[in-house]
Amino acid sequence: MAFLKILLDNLRKGPATEAFPFGEATTPDAYRGKVTFDETSCVGCNMCEHVCAGGAIRFSEKEDGLHFLIWHNTCISCGLCAHYCPTKAIKLSNNWHLSHLQEEKYEQVDHAVVPYRECTSCGKRLQPGGPMLHQLAFKGANPRSERLMNMCPDCRRKVSYIGEAV
Amino acid sequence: MDFLSKAARKSPWLYRINAGSCNGCDVELATTACIPRYDVERLGCQYCGSPKHADIVLITGPLTARVKDKVLRVYDEIPDPKVTVAIGVCPISGGVFRESYAIEGPIDRYLPVDVNVPGCPPRPQAIIEGIAKAIEIWAKRA
Amino acid sequence: MTTETLWTLATVLVFPGGLFALVLGLALKGVERRAIARLQRRIGPPLVQPFYDLLKLMRKRTLIPDTANAFVFLAVPVAGLASMAVAAGMIPIAGFFEPSPLLGNLVVLFYLISIPAVSLMLAGSASGSPYGAIGFSREMAIVLAYEGPILLSLVSVALYAGALTGQPVLLNLTEIVRYQQQHGAFLFDPWMWPALLTYLCFIPANLGIAPFDIPEAESEILEGPLVEYSGPPLGLMKMMSVTKAVVVLGLGIALFFPNGPAGLAGLLVFIIKCLVLVLAVSLLKAAVGRMRIDQAVLFYLKWPELLGFAGLALAIARF
Repeated sequence: MAFLKILLDNLRKGPATEAFPFGEATTPDAYRGKVTFDETSCVGCNMCEHVCAGGAIRFSEKEDGLHFLIWHNTCISCGLCAHYCPTKAIKLSNNWHLSHLQEEKYEQVDHAVVPYRECTSCGKRLQPGGPMLHQLAFKGANPRSERLMNMCPDCRRKVSYIGEAV
Repeated sequence: MDFLSKAARKSPWLYRINAGSCNGCDVELATTACIPRYDVERLGCQYCGSPKHADIVLITGPLTARVKDKVLRVYDEIPDPKVTVAIGVCPISGGVFRESYAIEGPIDRYLPVDVNVPGCPPRPQAIIEGIAKAIEIWAKRA
Repeated sequence: MTTETLWTLATVLVFPGGLFALVLGLALKGVERRAIARLQRRIGPPLVQPFYDLLKLMRKRTLIPDTANAFVFLAVPVAGLASMAVAAGMIPIAGFFEPSPLLGNLVVLFYLISIPAVSLMLAGSASGSPYGAIGFSREMAIVLAYEGPILLSLVSVALYAGALTGQPVLLNLTEIVRYQQQHGAFLFDPWMWPALLTYLCFIPANLGIAPFDIPEAESEILEGPLVEYSGPPLGLMKMMSVTKAVVVLGLGIALFFPNGPAGLAGLLVFIIKCLVLVLAVSLLKAAVGRMRIDQAVLFYLKWPELLGFAGLALAIARF
């Protein structure tokens, strides 16, 4: 007769149903949902593309910079990209409102351009390396490293060995 | 007729097709149906055993080559009007199985899909959100 | 056509058969679904959900499988619903309604009550689906198991009421009800308790309620005999099953506890009694799982059968 007690307890406690879809749903902060990308801190290492299990991330090099593309419809929210990203430019938000109509299937894409910069010394095209990388590598502001960061490898070597003369 | 379609909007019966899914999405669907916290019955939904009773069909899995013919046959058993919902990234794009030799999907190559609910698996609330979108379409068709 | 024929037709088609029984049955079904949801800590569907479901089914396409016998497949739901409408027209509501004597007595009612089971069996076998065939065999097994106890229960009541009124056997339901209204319900008469218990055991098996919903198990055999039905024929099947619920509960009320005030209040009391029974049934449905078919058959051949014989012995001893 234990089950009768459970049933009557259930009746007494009332429904345990969430208000959603008529109200707000609770979402844990750590929920792995839609991927967000911050192009200012991306260093273009392509690690996220390499580890992506679903093949959702594509990088392509174009004239104006490095093009980042993610199709959320094949992202499995595994979080490998966020785990391996050295500068935490790619993160998983807890946004799970991803359902959409069939017409919008191929619009579930986030696109970002990580622009190339020019070497401050010779004007050569430069792989991006944002302030986030600088912060990680040198643990704080340092005028010398900040200056070197904006140069191409060749100019950087010259400056490092020969000195400020160049 | 208008009266009938208004009533039909309140009574979408659900049917599940597993097109070679890993069962992750199926577990979430069972959760959506069976756990008091995500009660789909209050939307008037009811999981039915036979495809011939269904209105909204939920498809999981990437449509493997072996299961393709069976899925298409079961899909044809569902009487019109019907609404198709793809649950999980597999039926939508193939997910981690994309471009595998064993996969015939994505499923919209063979079936007219109406709503997509991506996720691996999508959480029950996301499935309910997808079902709510499907009910909107169902209301127009019925 | 005489007025009496017309009146009988009206009782079968509108009240209390046909329309009234259908509406009451659908409402009771809604209450049942809601009650089960509450017992499981869910909110549950709105109370009018069965009406929506039925109207929805009228909008769907009808599919007839190639393997099916189309005539039997489509005729069977109509036959089942018609028999239940007639049966509902034969249920007296104390103080409010007395069925037309043209319709027949308890024996006819007993046969009418078994027609839905037969139509489910025919539906299962005519659909040409293996699941339908399994549903057919299960339905057959469970009908064979519960038909004995219900017959014993009805016969006990008829004999007992006959003994009390000085006849060998009383088969007229109206008179059974009238006797109980004058001399107290059989519910409070210990001589009738075995027959009452037998009848209560019969209710879940006949209405397809857990733990005896084996022929229509939706998770194992895809709703068995209903597997190939779609659209309006499925709606007719659903109508048949909800009307059957009203008939079976109404017959139980008429046989054992028909007492109620005269006039419209009598109808109200009848509906309240139905509601109480439905709530009890939903408690059962929420509490237990499904039995295997052999367990269910053995159960019915053991306890309700024994109770039925005990009831019969008591009724005969009363002479």
